[in-house]
Amino acid sequence: DALLPAPQNISILSTNMKHFLTWSPVIVQGATVRYSVEFQGEYEREYANESWIPISECSLSTATQCDITDDISASVAYKLRVRAQAGAASSQWGSLEGFFNRVTTALTPPVLKVTADGCHLLVELQDMGPALQFRVLFWRKGHESRVRQAVLSSGSAGAHLATMEDGAEYCVRAQTHARAIDRSSGFSPTQCVRAQGDTSVRLV
Amino acid sequence: TAGNRIFHFGACKVSMSTAEIRAGFTAIKANIQSRDPIRTLSILSHPHSLHKVKSPDRCCITHHLFNFYVDKVFKHCTTEDSFVNRKISSIANSFLSVRRKLGQCHEQNNCVCGEESMEKYKQILANYEGLNVTSAAMKSLGELDILLDWME
Repeated sequence: DALLPAPQNISILSTNMKHFLTWSPVIVQGATVRYSVEFQGEYEREYANESWIPISECSLSTATQCDITDDISASVAYKLRVRAQAGAASSQWGSLEGFFNRVTTALTPPVLKVTADGCHLLVELQDMGPALQFRVLFWRKGHESRVRQAVLSSGSAGAHLATMEDGAEYCVRAQTHARAIDRSSGFSPTQCVRAQGDTSVRLV
Repeated sequence: TAGNRIFHFGACKVSMSTAEIRAGFTAIKANIQSRDPIRTLSILSHPHSLHKVKSPDRCCITHHLFNFYVDKVFKHCTTEDSFVNRKISSIANSFLSVRRKLGQCHEQNNCVCGEESMEKYKQILANYEGLNVTSAAMKSLGELDILLDWME
């Protein structure tokens, strides 16, 4: 029987298609407390006798969080639970309240750096993992009706967007797109640079 | 890429991604196929390949096959390997997502079941029931790439 209290404050942190289960530590004087995490997808509930599947990387771990990204790889409702163990004693399972579906992940605009290399308009984007890509919009200032678009995969360090006309000013903004759930973030702030000779003058 | 694509199954159009299913399967394919001793028999391709199914019948056979895997196959594929079990769970839950979208075509009558697709599906069930359930389930799971290749 359970001598340990079950973990409390169990919640999900999900940003940009990376999902973490977190909980408050269980304190036992003079003992090392370890935790084990299990998940249950809609399939397990409906077709596999409500079975639970352990996450081996988070079995008997002292950490109070678990990266569940690889196991939450379908857009269905998942249940998650965690229990504490210290020596031979173990707690009841503490469960996440409700379900988690990855379609609710928070998507943030990408961090981008726009530079002008002579007449070349270049953009660098922060790597945000394989599940995401970036939709980059760029236009010549004053020609807002002719916005062009490039779709870049995350991790493409730098991209050449366009060859600029001498002395012209070009602006860029971007959003993150999660392909598996077909959702996008808001746009990043617009950044503008001027062509011809400015190695990296950012006019905001 | 892991992005959604529009799949055309006859009159049925479905936006979905098979990339994650394929990634999950690729991670365990060798393990699963090593559990299938009878390599000369096929569940999906005997006696005729799925590629023989005509376009109007594609939606029906696809919908039936997703039901087949959800209802009959995955539940008999539990292994002693935690990693394999987690990947099978990923695939099974992804199948539920896709099946839901295919079901919408059924409701909109874009998924007509002709004689040919029913014949083909009956043959697949006969192949499946001709083996003991665990062997049949493992063989069917090991042939998932045949289904994915045909769908794509």
